[in-house]
Amino acid sequence: MPGTVREQVASQLDAAADRVLAERAADGDLRAFEVLVRRYGPLMRVYATRVLGSNDETDDVVQESFITAWQQMGTLDDGSAVKSWLMRIVSRKSIDRLRARRAHANIDDTDAPARESDAPHVVAEVESQTEALARVLAALPEDQRRCWTLRELAEYSYGDIATELHLPLSTVRGLLARARKTLLREMEDWR
Amino acid sequence: MTELTPADERFVAFDLDDTVREQAGLNGHTIEQLSDYLDQGRVPADPRIDDSPECEIALRGLERLRRARQTLLDRDLERESLRDDGWVASILANITLEAHAGREIPLTHPSSTARLVVTEGAVRGILRETGDSMQNMFVGRCALVGDVGVPGAPISIRVDVTVFPGENIPLLAAQLRQAMYAALSKYTELVVVAIDITVSDLHALPDASVREIEH
Repeated sequence: MPGTVREQVASQLDAAADRVLAERAADGDLRAFEVLVRRYGPLMRVYATRVLGSNDETDDVVQESFITAWQQMGTLDDGSAVKSWLMRIVSRKSIDRLRARRAHANIDDTDAPARESDAPHVVAEVESQTEALARVLAALPEDQRRCWTLRELAEYSYGDIATELHLPLSTVRGLLARARKTLLREMEDWR
Repeated sequence: MTELTPADERFVAFDLDDTVREQAGLNGHTIEQLSDYLDQGRVPADPRIDDSPECEIALRGLERLRRARQTLLDRDLERESLRDDGWVASILANITLEAHAGREIPLTHPSSTARLVVTEGAVRGILRETGDSMQNMFVGRCALVGDVGVPGAPISIRVDVTVFPGENIPLLAAQLRQAMYAALSKYTELVVVAIDITVSDLHALPDASVREIEH
C-alpha cells in the first residue's frame, strides 16, 4: 500500500471521533486503538498516580488497563463513551493494586503516615498552591484520597464511588467531607 | 481600611469530626452541602447560603481548592504528554491480536488433508484497508453476518462509513461496495449476497445520519 494512503489514514484516525476509534478497535484495528492510547493514556496515568499516591506502579496499572480494554472492547455498547469506560477500568485496576498492597503489608490501617519528605519542616517556605495541594493530597489517608480522586478527577457520582469501593453511601459521604475539610484547612496557608 | 472582606478572611478551622460545630460555623450548612451547591453552579440560588458571610468564605475556599485541582491536573497532564513514547510502545507490544480474531472461515485446498482458514478478524481488516484506500470517506465497524464457517453459505456484510461533507454519498457507497466485493473475492471464497453500507455525515449528529442501504 502506498505510503501516502497510510499517512492519510493516520491523520484521519488522529482526528477521528471516539466512537469510530472504539468501533474500529473492537474490530481489531490496532492503529485505531493506538490513537485511543495516546488520547487518553496521559489522563489515565495522571489519575492512577494520584489514586496510588506515587508513580511507582503507574506504568503497570495503565498497561494492564489498556490490555483489558483491548480484550473487552467488543463489550462496549456505546463507543462515544470510551473515555469514561477507560477511566472506570483504570480506577478498578488502581483500587485492586491498593488492596493488594495492603494485603501484602498485612495491616488494616489505611492511614499511612506521611512520608518524611512531606513532613512540614522539610517543606520549602515558598510553595505554590498547586504544589501544596499535591503534597496535602499525598498525605491524606488512603481511603479519603481514593474517594476524593474518584470524585474530583474521575468525576464519579457518590453512588458510583460507593459501588466501586464496596462502601456504604454514608461512608463515602463522610470520607469525602473529611477529605475536603482537611484540604480546605491545609490550603488556607497557601493563598 | 483594615476591615477584612469575606474574601480576605480566613476560613475557620473546625473540628473534622464535629458536625454540630461545622454547621454552627456555616450558618447551619455543612461543607458537603456547600460543595454540592458549588457543583450545581450555585443554582437554584439559596439565599441562606448566598447571604451568609461564613458560607461565602467557605465557598471561596472551595473554589480556590477547585482551581488548584484544575491547575494540578493540567500540569500533570502536560508533564505526561511530554513523556517519551516508550510507554505507548510497551502497551502495544503486550497486546495480542488474537483477541479479535473472531470466527474461522474455511478456504478450499487441493489437498484433502490440509485445512486452510482465514479469520473473521483478517477479513474485517481487508474491508477496513479497502475503505482506507479510498478518498473522502472513513470506514468504521465492519461485520460479517451469516454462517461464515459453512463453505458456500450466503452471508452479508455490514459496514459503517463516515463520509466527508459535500460528497456524493450514493456514488461513494457504490464505489466502496464494488471495491469491497473485489477484495473479498480476491482473498476469500465467501458468497457475499449483500454489502449494507450505513453512511453518516462527518459533521452530522449520529441520529441525523443518512441510512443508505441497498443490495
